[in-house]
Amino acid sequence: MNWWKKDKGGKKRPGGEEMLSSPLAGEVVPLETLRDETFAGGILGTGVGVIPAAGVLCAPIDGRVDQTFETGHAITLVSEGGAEILLHVGMDTVELGGKHFELLVESGDRVRAGQELIRFDREAIARAGYELATPMVITNSQEYHISVVAKGRVMSGDPLLKLTRR
Amino acid sequence: MKEFEFLIGDPLGIHARPAGQLVKLVQEFESEATMTLMRNGKSASLKRLLAVMGLGAKGGDRVRIEVSGKDEEAAARGIERWLAEHLG
Repeated sequence: MNWWKKDKGGKKRPGGEEMLSSPLAGEVVPLETLRDETFAGGILGTGVGVIPAAGVLCAPIDGRVDQTFETGHAITLVSEGGAEILLHVGMDTVELGGKHFELLVESGDRVRAGQELIRFDREAIARAGYELATPMVITNSQEYHISVVAKGRVMSGDPLLKLTRR
Repeated sequence: MKEFEFLIGDPLGIHARPAGQLVKLVQEFESEATMTLMRNGKSASLKRLLAVMGLGAKGGDRVRIEVSGKDEEAAARGIERWLAEHLG
């Protein structure tokens, strides 16, 4: 087997292909099943959801932190290959105003696949009445063919979303 | 070119959901549109989601919208109406 054919998440690969790994341990769900119609309808981009089984969000690929938010509930990254990635922990969690979230990186930071980005208190967020389903969407998805390569339970770091340049 | 200013009333400001909806609306027009945050002069294309989210516009912020292109009149009107309905 050629080294580059090995199915490993988190790396840019030859041929304009990038593999994003799961940013969380949890259960993979289709984007369309999310309650927020902006994510479900793909308005923010194509992608996938993960219902977290643990309160740590990790970088899905090597890249740079584009934007962090004071509320700590979301982060945007740009991969080395140019994919723009939005990770959004839970639904409507902007309303928590930063409570139960701890942001571990800053805008401009270089990150490696698997590096911790955000820690969050799953139980407290659920108790406050929020869904934890976490979408990972590609905001420049018109530049890619995108396919979800995992279903059911995943570990953080498992291959999850394959991007191929159009 | 068409331009106008808008005061964001929604305390949550322009977070992921409104940014996505706004960008989708603007992408339907041919014209280019930018939003400038008056507090710090940062500006973003209203056709680029990450740029719009990156402005970090909050409730109480004033923004300036500039629209230019063939359908600038309709685009400016559409953006202004959307802002008033969703973030006013």
